[in-house]
Amino acid sequence: MILEINNLQHSYDGTTQSIKNVNFKVRSGEFISILGHSGCGKSTLLRLIAGLEEQTEGTIKINGEIISDDKFQTPTEKRGLGLVVQEKALFPHLSVLKNTSFGIKNNAAGRSKAMDLLDLFEVSHLSSKYPNEISGGEQQRVALARALAPEPRILLLDEPFNALDEDLKNNLHNETKKIIEEKNLTVLMVSHDKNEAIFFSDRQIIMENGRIIEEID
Amino acid sequence: MPYKLSISSWKAFPFLILLVFIAPVLIVLSSLFGDYSENWSHLYNYVLFDYVSNSILLILGVIFLVLIIGLSTSWLVTNYSFYGKEFLEWALILPLSIPPYILAYTFTGLFDTTGTANNLSREILNLGQDFVLFPNVRNIYGAILVFSFTLYPYVYLVSRTAFMNQSRSMLEAGRVLGLSQFQTFYKLSLPIIRPAIIGGLMLVIMETLSDFGAVDHFAIQTFTTGIFRTWYGLYDLNTAMQLASLLLIFVGVFYLLERYSRSETEYTSTSSTFRPTKEIELKGLKSSLAFFVCFFPIFIGFLLPVSELAVWAFSSNLGFFNEKFYTTTFNTIYLALFSALLCATLALLINYSIRFTKSRFSNLLSSLLSIGYAVPGLILAVGIVQLLAWLDNKVLLGLEIVLTGSIIGLIFAYLIKSYALANSTFESGFKRISPSLDDSARILNSSGWSMLLRVHFPLLKTSFLTSLLLVTSEVVKELPATLILRPFNFDTLAVSTYLYAAEERMFLAAAPAIAIVAIGLIPIIILTRMIKSSRPTTNKDGYDS
Repeated sequence: MILEINNLQHSYDGTTQSIKNVNFKVRSGEFISILGHSGCGKSTLLRLIAGLEEQTEGTIKINGEIISDDKFQTPTEKRGLGLVVQEKALFPHLSVLKNTSFGIKNNAAGRSKAMDLLDLFEVSHLSSKYPNEISGGEQQRVALARALAPEPRILLLDEPFNALDEDLKNNLHNETKKIIEEKNLTVLMVSHDKNEAIFFSDRQIIMENGRIIEEID
Repeated sequence: MPYKLSISSWKAFPFLILLVFIAPVLIVLSSLFGDYSENWSHLYNYVLFDYVSNSILLILGVIFLVLIIGLSTSWLVTNYSFYGKEFLEWALILPLSIPPYILAYTFTGLFDTTGTANNLSREILNLGQDFVLFPNVRNIYGAILVFSFTLYPYVYLVSRTAFMNQSRSMLEAGRVLGLSQFQTFYKLSLPIIRPAIIGGLMLVIMETLSDFGAVDHFAIQTFTTGIFRTWYGLYDLNTAMQLASLLLIFVGVFYLLERYSRSETEYTSTSSTFRPTKEIELKGLKSSLAFFVCFFPIFIGFLLPVSELAVWAFSSNLGFFNEKFYTTTFNTIYLALFSALLCATLALLINYSIRFTKSRFSNLLSSLLSIGYAVPGLILAVGIVQLLAWLDNKVLLGLEIVLTGSIIGLIFAYLIKSYALANSTFESGFKRISPSLDDSARILNSSGWSMLLRVHFPLLKTSFLTSLLLVTSEVVKELPATLILRPFNFDTLAVSTYLYAAEERMFLAAAPAIAIVAIGLIPIIILTRMIKSSRPTTNKDGYDS
């Protein structure tokens, strides 16, 4: 198992539980979608795995090694994960190429790797542009390329296609799926779109009020 | 560095700086629990009442005038269209570049018996040498005028913003319900913007209580002049500190009121259907009258003193721009720039550490670290002198006086006094950076210093530059702390102006005073740009776009 979540609990204010006793496992190369209404705790679950929030109880293991429990937290930057969020979060002061190579060594090899990824997502011609000079769809392609550059053990996607129009979304769905399959990536995606989840996933996890209520293969 | 240790150092950093910042204030306050000398009894029996009553009279007079000037001008420029409005709207903040002590010097030069204004009036009206048209200004009423015409922009700025954010629909509802134009102003607009006005007024009061140069020049007995005389006249530092503690408590009350009023400023419309107020066009006599009401404070608070200074500096042949002037200017600029650089760096690091560690005490920390702007420079100087003397004696074992009387004390005072300016710039700068950028940086193996240097600093360059400029101009104007803490024979523009004015050598005070005003114009230019871009835009239907 590449990822194991055991008895995970979390609360933002110390009283209301946003994640309640969550348990699941992810195999290497598996694509899992986490579905649920807004406020059900699906994004919080992703942030806990990324180390952007601290759980109150439970353990998270990657490749059998505990990366966080109620006493110890491996910092986000040491977990070897990739993250793409709905807002893209590209660094506005850096060019597309520099954004993509942000998480890897800034040498010729690093830049070449970044260019290859941009090529894969068909945005290499925009490498010298800045985020504000490219479209929303192009920004999301750059965000995906940037997340893949450090070769993450698990790719976390938090509603990454949400802000895109239907045509653009369909195109990007197809291309992203192709790349994920080619690279045999392990992916955990949060979504509220059932069709999107069906298109991508090997397995779907349905959440409600901070709990997993159903798992669908 | 292990992760936990790295986080702990970032967490501890703001608390450490806070401890250093409040040390001088605590030292001053601790004097209240020490022995009281005979000098204290003397002050208590003979002059303390004057200090308190003069301070209260000064505050009441200044409140009255700044309210009239600040509110009338801001109401006119936000609700009416009249001749010269575009110019007046930003020019009304120009008096902020004139420190009260410089206006006090020029007032004396203008309105003394043999001052420019009285000489001119005698010449024009062809009257004898005994004739005095303008009354003496070297009294508390003159001081009230000086503070009012230099500090009214604080009320003007906050009330202008508040008036602008008032919804037209709300005012129109008042008119439909039978209120006249004037009744709409005092029954609807004024109560709604009251918290904002109180906030502005508190700043005015704190500045008035903190001033030393103007009240000293007019020989008015207030707390600051009392502290200075007790220290340098009676050579009794302990009693000076006890007096300073009283002033600090006085100022502390107004500081708390100011913070409270800030938390109460949420009356303004935040609705998505907000409609800005519609300007009423004034014509003929009404337009001229509105122009006069807005131009008069600019004339008294800026044009008149600048003209008088220019006449002093350029029409006489005394060679003001001599080597001493250049040395003083150089001293001031390098001291101000160095302090500003330190202050901006400190504010950047503290705000980053609060954000990076997601500190639960962020608001409290920010408020406490910014408290220095409310502490009068003279009190800071007293506390810093004591702190440095203690460090020289206890830490450096009195082997050599290293810190006392050095430039370190001066820079320390500037840092404490100006931190709030730099902090507010960075606070708003950091708020504009989406937290998802931090998440992305962290997941891409960038954290701590790396995230600061690669992500935040490049995005905060403008905030850094703005805070550099704001702190520089504040430091250049600061008089009482500089006067006390400066190293021997080290003059700055403010000290030079004060010393010449104290010897009634106004012509010589003009050149450094002009330099102070010129540097003080820098933040005004920044504010002007903000004012020009702050007016809400409307689409064809008058709705906010």
